[in-house]
Amino acid sequence: MSRAVELHNVVKVYELGEGIKVEALRGVDLNVEKGELLSIMGPSGSGKSTLLNMIGGLDNPTSGRIIVDGIDITGMGEGELARFRRESVGFVFQFFNLVPILTALENVELPIVFEGKLSSRETRERASDLLRLVGLGERMKHRPSQLSGGEQQRVAIARALANDPSIVIADELTGNVDRETGSKILRFIQHLNRTLGQTFILVTHDPTVGQASQRILYMLDGRIISEPPKSVETPSKQVLIEERRQLILAELGWLRSSLIRLEESKDSMKTELYNQLMAGYASKLESLKQAIQGSQEAS
Amino acid sequence: MANTAKTFRLALNMASKSIGRRKFRAALTILGIVIGITTIVSLMSIGYGMQTEVGSALSDMLGAGITISSGGMGGMSATIPEYVRDYVLQVPGVKDCVPVITTIMEVGGSQTMVIGIDPDQAQSLYHVTLSEGRLARHGEDHSAVIGASMAERLGVHVNDTITLSSTMGGVGNTFTVVGILRSVGSSGISIGCFISLQAAQSLLKKEGYVSTLLVVLNDPSQATYVEHSIKQLFPEASVSSQEAILGQVNNILNIITGVLLALGAISLAVGAIGVMNTITMSVYERTREIGMMKAVGGERSHILLIFLSEAAIIGLIGGCAGNVLGLLMVYVIKLFASTIGLPFTIPLIISPTIIAAAMVLSLAISVIAGLYPSWKATNIRPVEALRYE
Repeated sequence: MSRAVELHNVVKVYELGEGIKVEALRGVDLNVEKGELLSIMGPSGSGKSTLLNMIGGLDNPTSGRIIVDGIDITGMGEGELARFRRESVGFVFQFFNLVPILTALENVELPIVFEGKLSSRETRERASDLLRLVGLGERMKHRPSQLSGGEQQRVAIARALANDPSIVIADELTGNVDRETGSKILRFIQHLNRTLGQTFILVTHDPTVGQASQRILYMLDGRIISEPPKSVETPSKQVLIEERRQLILAELGWLRSSLIRLEESKDSMKTELYNQLMAGYASKLESLKQAIQGSQEAS
Repeated sequence: MANTAKTFRLALNMASKSIGRRKFRAALTILGIVIGITTIVSLMSIGYGMQTEVGSALSDMLGAGITISSGGMGGMSATIPEYVRDYVLQVPGVKDCVPVITTIMEVGGSQTMVIGIDPDQAQSLYHVTLSEGRLARHGEDHSAVIGASMAERLGVHVNDTITLSSTMGGVGNTFTVVGILRSVGSSGISIGCFISLQAAQSLLKKEGYVSTLLVVLNDPSQATYVEHSIKQLFPEASVSSQEAILGQVNNILNIITGVLLALGAISLAVGAIGVMNTITMSVYERTREIGMMKAVGGERSHILLIFLSEAAIIGLIGGCAGNVLGLLMVYVIKLFASTIGLPFTIPLIISPTIIAAAMVLSLAISVIAGLYPSWKATNIRPVEALRYE
C-alpha cells in the first residue's frame, strides 16, 4: 500500500524582491500513512501553512519532491494542479471561505460542478448527503451569513469531502470557533477519519487538536523537529522595567520639544489656544511624573 | 473545460446573485448601457423609417423616370424651348415627354409652389388625389386645382376664385378653383397649386418655354441609357434620373444617420467603461472567493466564465431595456413631430434587424468590456488570495 503523502527534502524559498529571500521550508522529509490523522504544530512563521499548501498542490516547492496518493505533483502545471486539488484533496480553511452569495448546498456542490462528472441531479444528491452527514440536513438552503461559525465550518468540511478526496487538509480548523464548537468539530473529524478512512492533516496552534490526533509533528524555522519547541521565555522583571524606563524617557523628550515649539510660536497664536495646549502638556507631564514614581517603586 | 453546460449554469447562478448583491451598482452600470442602446435603436429606427418614407414619396411623386431641367434657379427658370420635346421623343426608349413649368408664384400675399402642366398628365405623373371638386379639363386655362393647406389658408372652396401673379410683379391672372387636393403621392408633401401649362407660361410671359421636361420611359431599367443619350443631345441641360435623385437623398440621409450613430457609439463606449469598472470592482471584492474556488479545483476557464457571465447579464438587460426605451423614444418623437405640424410623418417601423443588432451589440460590448477584468481574475493565485484579508 502506497503512502498518502511522501515529501523528500522539500525546500521553499520566497523571493521578496531586491534579493531578499525567505526560507519557509528548509528541507522537509515527511511520510504520512493512509488513514492517518496527523497534526502539525508550531509557532507562527514556522512553515506549517507553507507545508500544507505544498501537500495540497496550491504552491510549487523550490526543490524536493512531493508525492500524494502515489502521484508526483512536484512539477505539475497550473491546470494539472487544479485537477489534482479537485480530485485528490479536500481543503478546510481557518476562515471557512464559503461563497457568501451561495447557499450551503450550492457551496458543497461547487467542487462537484468543477469536476463535472456527475449530472445535476446526482450533484445535488451528493451535496445533500454530505450536508446530512455533517448534521446540516435542515440548513441546506441557508446562506453562510445565516449560519453560526461552527455550522459554517461543517459546511466547509462537507465541501472538502465533496469529491471523495484521498486526503483532507485543514489549516487552523478550530481557530475561529469557540472552544465547545471546536471540540465538537474535532470529535466529528475523528469520527470521519475512523469511518471513512480518509487521511487528515491538520495544522493547528490548539493543543487539544494535537491531543486528538494519532501523531503530532512539530515545526520550527522551516524544519520538522522531534520535540515540541520550548516556549519563548517570559522576559525578566529587569527587562520589563528597562523597557518602561525607555518609554518614559522618549515621552519626556517629545514633551520637551513640543514645549519649545509652542513657546516659539506663542506670539503668532491666540492666547486661548496657547493656554489650551499648555494645559494639555501640563497634564501629560503630571501623568509622566506618576509613571516615573510608579516605576521607581517597582524597582 | 469539463462539462460546459453545468459550469455555465453555475456561472449564471453566481453572476446573477452577484448582481443581486449589488443592485444599485448594477443598475447604474446597466443604465450606462441602456443610454447607448436607446440612442442607437431610436436613431436607427428613425433613419430607417425616413429612408423608406422618402424613397416611396419620391417614386410616387414622379411617374417620370428622367427629369430634364433648365440649369438655373433650382430648375425653376423656364428656359427650355418647348420644341425640344420633339427631339427628346426621338430618343429610343422614350415613351412620352411632358413639358412642365415648376415655379413660385404669389397668391394672397404669400408665395406658393405652382406647377403648370397639361391637366391630363397631372394625374399620371403626380399621383394626385382630390378631396373636393374635380381636376381641370384639357383646354381650361383659367381653372386651378389647389392644395388643401392653401385652400384653408385662403379660405376658398370649389368655384371660388384666386389670383396668381409672378413674383417679378405684374397684375396676375384670375383662376377658378375647380378642385382641392387631398395629397400628392403617399406622403403629405403639399404642392400649392396645379394650373395648365399655357396659363403658367402666360403668367411668366414665357410662351413657348418650359422649366422641366418629364421623360416617361418604356422600360425603367433603361433609365441610365436614355439619360446618357439625352445628355449627348443637350449637353447644357441638366438631366437626372429618378434613381440618381433617390441616391442623392439616400446619401444625405446616410450621412445624417452616420453622424447620429457615432454619437450613440460614444455613449455606448462610456457604458462599456462602466461595465469594465463594475466587473473590476466585483473581482476585487471577491479575491478571497476566487482563491478559494481555485483551491477547491476551479480552473481558469471556470473563473473566466463566472465573471464574463456577470458582464453578459448586464449586457442582456441593458440591450432589452435599451430596445424598449429606444422604440418608445421613436414613438414620442413621432408624436412630437405631428404635434408641431412638420410637413412629413416619421413612420414607426419596428425593424427586427435593428432590434437583433442592438441586442448583439449590447451583449458583445459588455462581454468585451468584461474580458480584461475577468482575465485578471483568472490570474489570482490561490495562496495569496487566501492570505488576503
